[in-house]
Amino acid sequence: MGHITLSNVTKQFGAVEVIPPLDLHIEDGEFVVFVGPSGCGKTTLLRLIAGLEDVTSGSVAIDGTDITGVAAAQRGLAMVFQSYALYPHMPVRDNIGFPLRMAGLDKAEIARKVEAVAETLNLTGHLDARPGQMSGGQRQRVAIGRAIVREPKAFLFDEPLSNLDAALRVNMRLEISELHQRLKTTAIYVTHDQVEAMTMATKIVVLRSGIIEQVGSPMELYNQPRNLFVAGFIGSPKMNFVTGETAAQHGAATIGVRPEHIALSKDAGDWKGRVGIVEHLGSDTFLHVTVPGAGPLTVRVAGEMAVRFGDTVFLTPDANKIHRFDAADNAMSRRP
Amino acid sequence: MKPDAKPALFGRIPILGRFGLWIWRNPLIAPALLVVIVVTQAPFILTVIYSLFRWNLQRPENTAFNGFGNYLDIFRDSRFLDSVVTSLSFTVAAVLLSLLVGLVYALLVHDRFFGRGIVRTLLITPFLIMPIIGALAWKYTVLSPIFGILNWIVRQFGGTPIDWIGMYPVASVVAVLVWRWAPFMMIIILAGLQALNDDQREAARMDGAGPWAETRFIVLPHLKKYLQLSGLLGSIFIVNEFDVIFMLTQGGPGTATTNVPFLIYQSVFYSFDIGHAAAMAVVIVLGTIVVVTYLLKLLGSLMGDLD
Amino acid sequence: MAFWNRRPAAARGIERASRLRTVLAWGVALFVSFPFLYLATSGLKTEVEAPKMPPAFVPVPEFLNGIPFTYTPTLQNYRLILAGDFMPYFVNSAMATLVSTLIVLLLAIPAAYALTLPQTTSKRNVLFFLISTRFLPVVGVIIPIFLATRFVGLLDNVLALIILYTAMNLPIAVWMMRSFFQDLPADVLDAGRMDGAGTFHELTLIALPMVKNGVLATAFLAIIFAWNEFLLALTLTTTRAATVPLYMISFMSAQGLWYAKMSAAGTLVALPVVILGWFGQKWLVRGLSMGAVK
Repeated sequence: MGHITLSNVTKQFGAVEVIPPLDLHIEDGEFVVFVGPSGCGKTTLLRLIAGLEDVTSGSVAIDGTDITGVAAAQRGLAMVFQSYALYPHMPVRDNIGFPLRMAGLDKAEIARKVEAVAETLNLTGHLDARPGQMSGGQRQRVAIGRAIVREPKAFLFDEPLSNLDAALRVNMRLEISELHQRLKTTAIYVTHDQVEAMTMATKIVVLRSGIIEQVGSPMELYNQPRNLFVAGFIGSPKMNFVTGETAAQHGAATIGVRPEHIALSKDAGDWKGRVGIVEHLGSDTFLHVTVPGAGPLTVRVAGEMAVRFGDTVFLTPDANKIHRFDAADNAMSRRP
Repeated sequence: MKPDAKPALFGRIPILGRFGLWIWRNPLIAPALLVVIVVTQAPFILTVIYSLFRWNLQRPENTAFNGFGNYLDIFRDSRFLDSVVTSLSFTVAAVLLSLLVGLVYALLVHDRFFGRGIVRTLLITPFLIMPIIGALAWKYTVLSPIFGILNWIVRQFGGTPIDWIGMYPVASVVAVLVWRWAPFMMIIILAGLQALNDDQREAARMDGAGPWAETRFIVLPHLKKYLQLSGLLGSIFIVNEFDVIFMLTQGGPGTATTNVPFLIYQSVFYSFDIGHAAAMAVVIVLGTIVVVTYLLKLLGSLMGDLD
Repeated sequence: MAFWNRRPAAARGIERASRLRTVLAWGVALFVSFPFLYLATSGLKTEVEAPKMPPAFVPVPEFLNGIPFTYTPTLQNYRLILAGDFMPYFVNSAMATLVSTLIVLLLAIPAAYALTLPQTTSKRNVLFFLISTRFLPVVGVIIPIFLATRFVGLLDNVLALIILYTAMNLPIAVWMMRSFFQDLPADVLDAGRMDGAGTFHELTLIALPMVKNGVLATAFLAIIFAWNEFLLALTLTTTRAATVPLYMISFMSAQGLWYAKMSAAGTLVALPVVILGWFGQKWLVRGLSMGAVK
């Protein structure tokens, strides 16, 4: 159980409106990712759901019950913080058991549940360690343990991987996804990293300045971004945007082509350009090509590519995958 | 805001009502606040009331409302005016010298050297020692005409022993005050020095600043607010200095070192003149409030946003 | 040393001082400490030896007697003091100091914590009101306090000192504890709220264990101020409840000048707080600046 509905929610800090009126529905069992640049209000939104901030107006409901005025602790939600937020003076055992202790469970029950959770998270050997003695990954696992031990209606994750190094981040990403597969508990996950959003989410909510720009599955967002902002935010490397004459030929103010949707040839193609920087990743090659009349474009080519700075190349965008945007930056239908 | 249940008692009087409501809603703060109000604010209000009465404990039958008469009296009384001047000169001299000496102490122990911890500890000890014992130590080990080290040194050079406290009472008191308060200044200035980013000093040095330029353009501007803070705090405490004067000079010789607090003490406990003493107390409180206002402003800016 | 491998700020000081500066610093320190070091020394001398000039600094065993600047230490002054009427004063001081400090902590900790909570209104007013009372000159309230104490029959009663020292130290304690609470990571407290801790559990189980040092530091400062307090003790106590500063006074006037014994007494009275201050050095600045400087 755990579907969450925000109706007409707003949040102001003093005179500053961080969240203009906003509606959102999250289905039971979904893995929803709030994504957006820093300052877009995604963390505020999460804290409003958590009950750590009060909404200025509007209402929050869980499973159809209005919980707008209910204290954080009584909402039946669990949260994992970016800084792990473990209690430094308690051993891991007490950290994980703390929510149960607050809920008034008896000691034997707490011990049993803590052991069980520790087992699933490979923390059994660390139960008596203090957070200060553990690595970042282990700490985050403890924080997750503390969240799952109370079997919440939903998990809230606030950029939980930002403090981890790159390799660990990928691992934890998988672990969290697996956890969700297994528990099927609703999860809301805040990140500024669109890769995390794409890989983990069943539903992505793209936010900008407190406004929801688009809600959809990762593939919907990738294939049908509703506007220029979403198009530019989702996908890596970023979508190329071309304005002016070239866009006008497609009947749009701006057209967008993803780097992976441009074919490259040394002999012939739609656009002729000169190669700038070339980034060799082994699996892929990213070329930065300057095309007169279209500007600098990024092209992604699978595998290794033998081009050098200054070479002349020809680019051909995949006509079926050109995104068109009007003057107000909104997406237009695919080319008729 | 949710409408809280209003205790009916408080609803009637606007200001008290709001205060009562706040107290009601903040049960964790209320006890501390009430203790402070009862023990410090209520007595001060009484002091203000007393200051409006002619009242001597030895002649209680003469007690009568006197309006601002006590204030007129004390401002015509040369003893009071002298004590104000004494208070001010002690404060100005002791604060400025303490700041200077404290700055020197701080600069001396800022960098690492052999025994820095011990030196710093020795330097702050005058501030930790019970003030009357510090004054006592000065009186007998340094300034005493007979046992004092100062006169021993004078005699070694063939001079005649001097009664330092009798001859130079103000300087003696200021010396002890500086001895006691310079460590206080040092503690705050040292924290300021340590908060200064080493990178900034190193960058200045890379940019060609010598030691003087480094101090003048990097260190001192950074220390400004720490100097202000320690100066203001020092002023508030030194203007009300009592212990050192009580032990060192008893306000004398004559009234040479009688500052306002000491005069108030004498008026209450030697002449039992409550009315005039209260008027003097109100005056010194008002004077302190001026300094405190500046201090609070500074503290506010150091603390950043609160609500 | 690589640039990222810096020593922590507290241990810093970017370079070693020159030899000249080292000597100068030591010289100044010894000069400044002369009064109390010599006082402590005199307390270990006999009444005959103590006032003698040239001053004797160096304690030596008896058979080396006669060398300039040396003396033979004795504990006889301390024996005399402890056998005399010192203890009641000491007990009074200890009671007034420790009990008031305990009450200060009990009142200040919850108040300081509440003053960090977002839902508390008028925080600024409360904090500034509190601290301004600390800066109120004691002489400004001494008259009514004296009269009121007399009126309720608490003159010469330690209870009066306990109440007054509590009020005297509360504002600083609140400010100081608040600055420690303020430094706690907000996420950890949020986590506590998510985990179901109410304000009481949040304070006792999460926040308080994380600021143990702050509690110690606050206690240190309250003890120092209360132990050294003189004016209130002088005006409100006479014999039964008199504290150690009064012992020093009574000592001098009643018994004439016993230089060695007085020095020993002064040392004994000053020492507890001096030692406490030495250990609490790193917290002093925070307390003295009301938590504004760390």
